[in-house]
Amino acid sequence: MHDAPLAGPLGVGPSRRLPLLAGIAWTCALALALFALPVLSIAENRLALGRPVLGAQALGWSVGPILALGVAGLVVPSRQAAGLRAGLAVAALAFAILVLAAGLGRGAMQALAGLPPAARASLGSGAWLALALLAGGLGLAVRRAHAPWLGPATVVALLLGVGLMARSGAFDALSLAVEYAARRETVNAAIGEHLALSGAALALALAGAVLLSLWRRGQGVVAILLSGIQVVPAVALLGGLVALTGGLLRAAPALRDLGLSALGAVPAIVAIAAYLLLPLWRGLALALRSPDAATLEAAGALGLTPAQALFGVRLPLGAPILVAALRVAAVQAVGLATLGALVGAGGLGRIVFDGMAQFAPDLILLGAIPVIALSLGAETGLSRIEAAARRRWHA
Amino acid sequence: MHRAAQSTTRHPALGLAVTGLILAGISHPAAATWIAAALGEPARRPLDVARLLALSLQHVILAGAGLGLVAVLGVGLGILVTRRVASPWRPLVDAVAAGAQAVPPVVVVALALPVLGFGGPPTLLALVAYGIMPVLRGTVGGIEGVASDIREAGRAVGLTNFQILMRIELPLAGPAIVETLRTALVLAVATVAVGALAGATTLGTPIVAGLQNQNTVPMLQGAAATAALAFLGEAALLALVSAWRAIRP
Repeated sequence: MHDAPLAGPLGVGPSRRLPLLAGIAWTCALALALFALPVLSIAENRLALGRPVLGAQALGWSVGPILALGVAGLVVPSRQAAGLRAGLAVAALAFAILVLAAGLGRGAMQALAGLPPAARASLGSGAWLALALLAGGLGLAVRRAHAPWLGPATVVALLLGVGLMARSGAFDALSLAVEYAARRETVNAAIGEHLALSGAALALALAGAVLLSLWRRGQGVVAILLSGIQVVPAVALLGGLVALTGGLLRAAPALRDLGLSALGAVPAIVAIAAYLLLPLWRGLALALRSPDAATLEAAGALGLTPAQALFGVRLPLGAPILVAALRVAAVQAVGLATLGALVGAGGLGRIVFDGMAQFAPDLILLGAIPVIALSLGAETGLSRIEAAARRRWHA
Repeated sequence: MHRAAQSTTRHPALGLAVTGLILAGISHPAAATWIAAALGEPARRPLDVARLLALSLQHVILAGAGLGLVAVLGVGLGILVTRRVASPWRPLVDAVAAGAQAVPPVVVVALALPVLGFGGPPTLLALVAYGIMPVLRGTVGGIEGVASDIREAGRAVGLTNFQILMRIELPLAGPAIVETLRTALVLAVATVAVGALAGATTLGTPIVAGLQNQNTVPMLQGAAATAALAFLGEAALLALVSAWRAIRP
């Protein structure tokens, strides 16, 4: 998961034909999503199979602008475009996403008009494909603009736009919004639990990694042990830990008074933390070794104590590596915390598993979307900090 | 003397294999019942050996199929992406691969469930979606790690691009590719266990059912057997690779 320096040894002159082909394929896929695939599915209730509604029917006149804006966003920065043109492309694609979202909400409302209240309008494959294509194009346009602030600004603007539309009731007819409205508290609480689970595991693993790297002689054993843990499937580790905690509680019932139970957050946090130990321990070791011998000697010659050398030289110089390890661990923690629901630790996994048990796609999405958002947020946020640390100390 | 010295330097596969065999032993009904009793759990009916073997076979088939797909697609895409022709596609492939990695396997299984139904298919999809990226990156990293003067030397000797790939790039990138396949294998065994949530009958099934019904013995058996499979699979992969290296000059 290292972002290896990817300066292609073979990448000489980029051929001009392939991007053109990719652009045509992208446009065809978007047209297919909007015209030939169902963008909405209208069902009698939340569990019934739906009747497909095509884009031209559900979205009405807005199909044209969406397609046009999408293509414009792709074509405008055709050459090495910077500044205004790249900005225009980003704006066109972001606007296309908002128009699509508004069109879907309106289409759902119209399709449900006159149907009983249990009827649901859920997003179909066409809607997901179109959203994915537009989001992918947007990501590419942001990358090509080479402006570090543009990415976050676009995300904030899109969230703001969608949030305002949601507030005004534009999506009220979509089943995802209906499901969220019915479970607002549960979902919000689950997001909090999820963050607490992954945060606690990250903190525990960080403490563990520091302790393990202090044990100088045992580094070989630690390496074997930690890579051994990685091999154990998470589901199996959770099962084993629940059995162990159960045994521990029977041997020492006093622990029960401390709030420990065989099922719950504790085995989940321990299991998640166990997997985070390897990246964190490895990152810590690499980070502490990152200054070369001459630098450390210079620090010694300046009269720095080992502690001062650690906090003044080793940690700042190793900061990018440390943050990279933290990023890998944080993304893993968010993903693994989903499994915590298996042992009754709550979190977003509970919503996902409820949805699977009921075979209710909207409920699954309601749990899955925040997991993906948290994971992407951890990844992008920490990689920005990593880049900043690199600039700050390795300029 | 020399021979004896060689046999004492242990093969890395050995430790993995021993760990795997110990775990497999723990999954045996008698051993699991004994451990559960030692932990103070009520002795319930364990899975018998035949059932355990049937579940293991299912697990191996699903994980093997997924690993095969991941290896072919990941290494193949990695080779394609490092060709000169494909260099404009690189940012796109990197972005898609990074995006796919942000979705944890459990979530892919869950999302694929309404589309693909219960059973093996959502599990396979999750495996492929999540496993391709590490293999792709490992392959790309391995091929790009080949020093360009070696490649140029091959060209100077008159090798075609295909010969450079087969005789220079792939052999030199081999260790990196094997390393990523190990990751993919571990991932495959773990994801297939999670697939039990989507109704695939694997070694994850007794774990999930055991967690729900507080039925510790089958849960322990499933957990130990799944972990055993992962360790034994890694040991087998390492042994295969070193056997292949021994045959090839």
